[in-house]
Amino acid sequence: MIQNKEQWLEDASKKIKVPKEQIARAFQAELDGAPAIDAPLEIPDIMDITYKYSYGGISRFFREIRDNRQLYGTRCPSCGKVWLPPRINCNECYEPTTWVKLGGTAAIVTYTIVYYATSVFYGKTPYVCAFVRVDGADTLIMQNVFVNDVRQAKVGMKLKIQFKENRNGDMGDFWFVPAEEAR
Amino acid sequence: MKKVGIVGIGTTPFKARWIEKTYYELAYDAAKLALEDAGIDKKEVGGVVYGIYNEFFERQFMPDVYIHNYIGMGLKPSVRIATGGATGGAAVFVGWTWIASGLYDIVMVLGVEKATDNYNYAVGHATPETLKAILFSGDMTFENPMGLTAAASYALPLIAHIDRYGSPTERQMAMVSVKNHKNAMNNPIAQSPKLLTVDEVLNSKMITYPFKFYDNCLYSEGASAIILASEDKAKALTDHPAWITGVGLSLDKAFAGERDDITIFTSSQYAGRDAYAMAGIRNPRKELDFAELHDAFTGAEILSYEAFNFCKPGEGGALVEDGVVEMTGDLPVSPSGGLIGCGHAVGATGVMQTGEAALQVQGRAEQRQVKNARVGLVQSIGGPATAWTAAMIVERIETATAKPGPKKKKRNQRKRSKK
Repeated sequence: MIQNKEQWLEDASKKIKVPKEQIARAFQAELDGAPAIDAPLEIPDIMDITYKYSYGGISRFFREIRDNRQLYGTRCPSCGKVWLPPRINCNECYEPTTWVKLGGTAAIVTYTIVYYATSVFYGKTPYVCAFVRVDGADTLIMQNVFVNDVRQAKVGMKLKIQFKENRNGDMGDFWFVPAEEAR
Repeated sequence: MKKVGIVGIGTTPFKARWIEKTYYELAYDAAKLALEDAGIDKKEVGGVVYGIYNEFFERQFMPDVYIHNYIGMGLKPSVRIATGGATGGAAVFVGWTWIASGLYDIVMVLGVEKATDNYNYAVGHATPETLKAILFSGDMTFENPMGLTAAASYALPLIAHIDRYGSPTERQMAMVSVKNHKNAMNNPIAQSPKLLTVDEVLNSKMITYPFKFYDNCLYSEGASAIILASEDKAKALTDHPAWITGVGLSLDKAFAGERDDITIFTSSQYAGRDAYAMAGIRNPRKELDFAELHDAFTGAEILSYEAFNFCKPGEGGALVEDGVVEMTGDLPVSPSGGLIGCGHAVGATGVMQTGEAALQVQGRAEQRQVKNARVGLVQSIGGPATAWTAAMIVERIETATAKPGPKKKKRNQRKRSKK
């Protein structure tokens, strides 16, 4: 039996960064009951790593979005393919690519609507994830499409880019909305 | 290349949670069952190939290291395969190469997975945290931040397919769910044996459009092991080995947005093409007696019919309506219940499916036996938007010299631990 329940909850909360009440609820049987000595014993645990991650050669893509509200792809000088997401070399031609400015218009090529999400997105459902073709790009990019009613999402729907007000230099800095709704 | 036989099979029950066992304890159970089924001692095993998908599920990086010791295989050759949902199938593929190359005579392929030690404290449930663990497999820069789920990853090609062909319909997909839940009624290891109606599937809660609750497989925990053997060893161990006569493995472009045609499971097409060619199969629709497909989601099973050339693109849904893929049809798909019926204990799944195919061609599949099953296909899919496929052809080979008679060795019946 747990000797000092309050201390145990405090330690657990600090360790896994979850409020004490939620831990108490999950471990009610262990805290209140007297489980048999050989009953399965669960512990609160976490695997947690922090990063200072470098975008390497595609850093400009995120700087252009963050600082200039501008979408860029890359073009292979050999085959002419325009990559979005960008890459600094072409995997067909094995040549370095060059940056190319893209406009903000696009269309849905395929999509889905998420009604049951991961822990990170749990409170945000339903939302649309789509493969979008940005005009001028040869590949599709995965993005969220925000529509008033998720059921309006359709293959072929014309879209316009929107940028977040306070941008952090990641893919959450922009999304797409139906072209006619764009401000 | 040398012939590769399957001589031992062991699978633990697939359950929503194995609170009473760790991943290495589950692995031990499957290893023991498979060794007993083969009638061999662990000393005879030349090496082990592990199929374990997700470090966050197991709460352990390099979990194979700890299993290898736990099951008493210390100092033997070992490698761990992690190819998403295709982990089990790809582990079988690699185990096959170890025998086919002549390197070893007996190889164990051992798949295991936990998933529901993950826990979302705010919601009070495992699944959102399990999905979060999986999403680390999506490209961390460009896809992870978009909130995809495994279901979404399959829904994207499916919606494009529906847009082009008008099929599969939601009703056709529901029929796959009914079939696989029902097939699982005959499988003692299955997590979700159930008699459902098409309407119950159609009216179940929307999870990821167009998949309703019953269109999805459930996360599962469990382990499965098979023992592979060279021809001489296989024939010494049993009169009726199952043979893996064809294998294929393909990894498509990671970003589905770069693919030429997003409506096709291209990796399945390629893996299937290679496996068929090796096994000499020209007309799979006619020559296959059954298939164990990767029905992580109902629509995926239907698109797989097309990728594996059971029918033309766009015609997969009709195979369901015509009853072809039912147990009573002429190409039963997932007699085991598949992932929808058995659950998806990721690393274990492809091994379990291969073992199931072997039981079928050996005539040992009990209540789920397909009559006169001689040749079967196994498919194992994984990665972002079905990037990976491993495919295997499992066969019974009748030779002119093989005469019916008493078995060479008294074999243990396939044993299962109690639920």
